[in-house]
Amino acid sequence: MANITKKVSWSGRGEDSARGETTPLLNGAAEEVRYTRQVSSGGGIFHIGRLSTVDLEEDITSEEDSARGRPREIPHNEKLLSLKYESLDYDNSENQLFLEEERRMSYVSFRCLEISRWVICGLIGFITGLIACFIDITVEKLAGVKYSVVKQNIEKFTEVGGLSISLILWAVLNSAFVMLGSLIVAFFEPVAAGSGIPQIKCYLNGVKIPRVVRLKTLVVKVCGVICSVAGGLAVGKEGPMIHSGAVVAAGVSQGRSTSLKRDFKIFEYFRRDTEKRDFVSAGAAAGVSAAFGAPVGGVLFSLEEGASFWNQMLTWRIFFASMISTFTLNFFLSIYHGKTGELSNPGLINFGRFVGDSVTYNLYEIPLFIIMGAIGGLLGALFNFLNYWLTILRIRYIHKPCLQVMEAMLVAAVTAAVSFAMIYFSNDCQPLGEENSEAYPLQLFCADGEYNSMATAFFNTPERSVRSLFHNPAGSYNPLTLGMFTLTYFFLACWTYGLTVSAGVFIPSLLIGAAWGRLFGILLPYITTNSTIWADPGKYALMGAAAQLGGIVRMTLSLTVIMMEATGNVTYGLPIMLVLMTAKIVGDYFVEGLYDIHIKLQSVPFLHWEAPATSHWLTAREVMSSPVTCFNRVERVGTIVDVLSNTSTNHNGFPVVTEMAASDEPGKICGLILRSQLIVLLKHKVFVERAHSRLSQRKLQLKDFRDAYPRFPPIQSIHVSQDERECMMDLTEFMNPTPYTVPQETSLPRVFKLFRALGLRHLVVVDSENKVVGLVTRKDLARYHLGKHGLEELHLAQT
Amino acid sequence: MGSFEKCRFVLMLICMFFGSVPTRASASSAELNGDSDLKTPISTASNPDSLIYSPFLNLAAAFPQDLEVSDYCLDLLRVFGQRYVAYVNCLVSSARPVKVCQNCYSDYNDLVNIYNNISSDQMGSVNVSCRRSLMESDRLMLLYKLFTNLGGLWKDSLCTQCLSRDLKSLSNDTLFYLSTLNRTLQCFEKYKQGNQSELCKECKAIYKELNEVYSTMEQNSKLCIDIEDAMNVTRQSWSKMYNCSYSREETVPVIAVSSFMIFLPVIFYLSSFLHSEQKKRKLIHPKRAKSSQSFMNIQDKFS
Repeated sequence: MANITKKVSWSGRGEDSARGETTPLLNGAAEEVRYTRQVSSGGGIFHIGRLSTVDLEEDITSEEDSARGRPREIPHNEKLLSLKYESLDYDNSENQLFLEEERRMSYVSFRCLEISRWVICGLIGFITGLIACFIDITVEKLAGVKYSVVKQNIEKFTEVGGLSISLILWAVLNSAFVMLGSLIVAFFEPVAAGSGIPQIKCYLNGVKIPRVVRLKTLVVKVCGVICSVAGGLAVGKEGPMIHSGAVVAAGVSQGRSTSLKRDFKIFEYFRRDTEKRDFVSAGAAAGVSAAFGAPVGGVLFSLEEGASFWNQMLTWRIFFASMISTFTLNFFLSIYHGKTGELSNPGLINFGRFVGDSVTYNLYEIPLFIIMGAIGGLLGALFNFLNYWLTILRIRYIHKPCLQVMEAMLVAAVTAAVSFAMIYFSNDCQPLGEENSEAYPLQLFCADGEYNSMATAFFNTPERSVRSLFHNPAGSYNPLTLGMFTLTYFFLACWTYGLTVSAGVFIPSLLIGAAWGRLFGILLPYITTNSTIWADPGKYALMGAAAQLGGIVRMTLSLTVIMMEATGNVTYGLPIMLVLMTAKIVGDYFVEGLYDIHIKLQSVPFLHWEAPATSHWLTAREVMSSPVTCFNRVERVGTIVDVLSNTSTNHNGFPVVTEMAASDEPGKICGLILRSQLIVLLKHKVFVERAHSRLSQRKLQLKDFRDAYPRFPPIQSIHVSQDERECMMDLTEFMNPTPYTVPQETSLPRVFKLFRALGLRHLVVVDSENKVVGLVTRKDLARYHLGKHGLEELHLAQT
Repeated sequence: MGSFEKCRFVLMLICMFFGSVPTRASASSAELNGDSDLKTPISTASNPDSLIYSPFLNLAAAFPQDLEVSDYCLDLLRVFGQRYVAYVNCLVSSARPVKVCQNCYSDYNDLVNIYNNISSDQMGSVNVSCRRSLMESDRLMLLYKLFTNLGGLWKDSLCTQCLSRDLKSLSNDTLFYLSTLNRTLQCFEKYKQGNQSELCKECKAIYKELNEVYSTMEQNSKLCIDIEDAMNVTRQSWSKMYNCSYSREETVPVIAVSSFMIFLPVIFYLSSFLHSEQKKRKLIHPKRAKSSQSFMNIQDKFS
């Protein structure tokens, strides 16, 4: 599916299509499309095993007739690729304008560029840290108000009776917060839903998710996450932090905001996808670093998620951004906490320090940790499996914004109801700690001077709960309490993830894991005879948290480092690594990671690290789309406008060929030009005739292309008169004269590697005489994946 | 138990210390801060431990270096010892129920006074500061450690919060609390024999008042260990001994409301499943090379 991409991303108003409505423009087009492939009835998957390919070709004629004229509709499933998504242009177009600009630039201006890169990274870190600080303080304040109101109410009604009113109050407060958060997400910016990590993963992979790095998204994301955490959902604010960092990076590096229509006339050189991507990876790293107080973890997160494009200098800069971000957060939080200048308060979630003798581990505990990893993998797989079906249900049936808001409110109310019931029926009372570690201790039916232990887990922001699970002294929780908590919170978190609220899954996973990990630690002495050696359940809580998180998101290297940094304890490196490895191995046996599932369900053409195994027999000839729409070196304006306006083939890159002899015969390749470039050319009316008539006309510069980036006007907005249609346009100067090409026999993995390593968008397939025979794009590659029945092919669909 | 042992150890140390001080004619203790009512230490002779060490200590006392410790300083030292013992004695005797602040604050004040005297750099009669000679001439720094030990206890007990600003008397808040506590306990005492529900009813008002006094003091951070402990004990007897805490009585409404709320999503999902239009995706078919050449090629490869 070479060039069939949609107009969404550069049309100013892509809202309707993003919502998943059908664009009328493409409606008619779909009917024209010729059905060249058989669609297998069961599950709608192509089998391109050896035999089935042959069958396929034979069936073409009969199938073609029956399928023509009615576009097939299927329910949404994971085996689709959406037309909504385009690639990013990571490959630099080395056209003559570019070369000219480079010649003009002096040594000093190159140095300046380098310095401004550092400045931008510093700014990214600073602003991301500020945002993290803002979120943290606001959530703390709002949650504080909410919990103290509910607490007072509960205390009042414990005495006089009527606790069900407190329950309703709690549920209503929760729902109100969540409604606000969900409204802005559902109605203003649906792309801000969820944790944002899948979206950033896609962006770093090279997929342009419409509107994912806009200022509006950032605002909605930040407000949304504050509302959903304050609304008591089983969510965290860490994932959204990563998204926020990425948006900040994308905004700051451009030196302007298209949404606010402000151009600061700085950093103009960075207005293209290649540069922007580098900064976005720095932003994601800064986000991780602010969220967990883990600068190295942030860098490694960027490395793990966007690893295909990487260099050493960039790593160093990203590290700089991460450090600045942690520093900023620390600094401002220290002011907030009244200890100005004290910088040891890292991260939004602070796991606290594990120090002392009780937290050392021994060789005999390693197998136990591995067992915990396996449990984490199993539970994670169960979580992902349930969430997968829930998400499918949501996509298919709960797609109206008002329904989505209602669902979120219901979840909030039920969370409150379940929590309240758990607290109400819990008999686990613990004496109040001397340092008053519980923020909102609830007494209920406990003796005076004691608090309800279940309430520390439920009646609290999730982060505080995690911390108390890690650090409360042994004996603070009953096994029964922990068991019930794990069970309910597991289902609540699973139900919550994927709602139309912006919220992350990190903290709930950690919380579930910490709860069962602590339970594990408490139960150990009962199993063994020697009960003294299993002193501290806190470290088992930590391992459980790591296992559960690893089982759900399946991150490896970066997660290990993040956990290590967040606990500030390097000695836990080995057990955490083992736990995460086991969790990943066990989990991968059943189902993919949560983020991958959601990427798939979004039908994103995502390129994984490697081409699917057993795909070497596929060659570029089978993979590519053909025939290709080409332009001549000097092309008539009318032709160009017609091609660009043709909605059925919304191509984005056009090979430029030497004069075609016959209409069918492909020409020799001599360059590649992008739709965006053509549009800019048309807008500035760079026609051959005009150049002759008006010599004084300003020569087009690279700056003109950058100014239009990233929202190029749609072709419909460019007016071309009848006279101008007859003019000619010389593309030589603007096309990329050396596009990457491969011969037809290149195997799929080889093509794949080129794409991944170079971040390509178009790869021209040529024959032995250098004539264009086809074009490979991201969607052509992403449609192959290894399923249960060997290599499968995904459908292209309009979403 | 641990703290008791510590105290014993401290006592033993003190005894050793005193054994080492050669008895001399003491300088007038009146110049020591104008404070003459020195309490006698608990008798060293009665402690058998000190006797074991005494020959060695006496030997040490024979060194000529003792010249560098002036008489004045030795007097300070002796007074320090006496007051130290007095304070520790008081602490131990008011360990349970905790009354360390109420009973021992004056002893502590005395101790601080003498310690400040020693550690302030004021010169003795022979131009040698006692601080140098007593505190900074060996690596053990016994005086310092002894004092910081008790100072830590004092700090942990938060006694200053219960005392008036000049630390000379109990604060008004504390006195008020103690009187309320007394009334509460009297009430408990009065109704203890009879029906316990009667106790709960009759003493509720005063108990509640006590709680309120306590929580206001907590908010103003006027709590010290004495008050906390007294409150804890009272609460425990209220809840556990007399069983006056609230009981779970509204199980049915809570269950009803919760299950109603849990039932809502079921309706929601069912209705949206039944009424909402299922989202369909239109499939799009890309253009592909369908030359016979490639077809032949595949066949060639696998035949």
